[in-house]
Amino acid sequence: MALRAAVLRHIQVPVQTLTATGSKPLPRWSLGASLRLFSSHDDHLTKEEVIDRVLDVVKSFPKVDPSKVTPDVHFQKDLGLDSLDNVEIVMALEEEFKLEIPDKEADNIDSCNLAIEYIYNHPMAG
Amino acid sequence: MSGASTAAYLARRAAQKERVRILYRRALKDTLNWAVHRHLFYQDASDLREKFEAHKHVEDLDTIDKMIAEGEATYNKWRHPDPYIVPWAPGGSKFTRNPVPPSGIEIVYDYGRENND
Repeated sequence: MALRAAVLRHIQVPVQTLTATGSKPLPRWSLGASLRLFSSHDDHLTKEEVIDRVLDVVKSFPKVDPSKVTPDVHFQKDLGLDSLDNVEIVMALEEEFKLEIPDKEADNIDSCNLAIEYIYNHPMAG
Repeated sequence: MSGASTAAYLARRAAQKERVRILYRRALKDTLNWAVHRHLFYQDASDLREKFEAHKHVEDLDTIDKMIAEGEATYNKWRHPDPYIVPWAPGGSKFTRNPVPPSGIEIVYDYGRENND
């Protein structure tokens, strides 16, 4: 029982070194959003994660001013981008989330709002 | 040459713009298929963008149609024989790998236990 309690205490804290008893190395779980779940159906992305990643992708686009990017910004009206730039952003989002968006729907994604909605509702968003 | 902004003219322009966007999207994906290394891809992607930007200002509908047709022919000529498709999408490697079993089927986990045990 005492050994079990000691092992549990080690699991709940991020371990930097091996324990003194020389037990097998415990998995390092960083406290935070990246908790690994071992079921195949629990890994739908949370909305905050989707929003964060989408905004990161849009901010790292070279023609975009990062300070103007908010979750409901329109690519062509607010950020002053071209329609071809829109296509490039959608492709970058496809690569980020490992999605395959059909051409017709990719054409309709015009703003951050639509992108976040689409990705959040997609069952295979990675 | 219909310079007036009639509904038919605008509809035709909108259809052309959509064709151009879809063509650019496919050409960009194809470029990524051919040039797998990122630095080569960036170079080729900027070249592709230059080609599209050079004809950005053309106004004549028939010229635009001809150029779109030429672009689509070039795209068809340069299509990659083994494009990268996301694994779960049709054509990818994981497509229909583990389909959902039909409902109404119940698996009994008795591990071969006999009735007498």
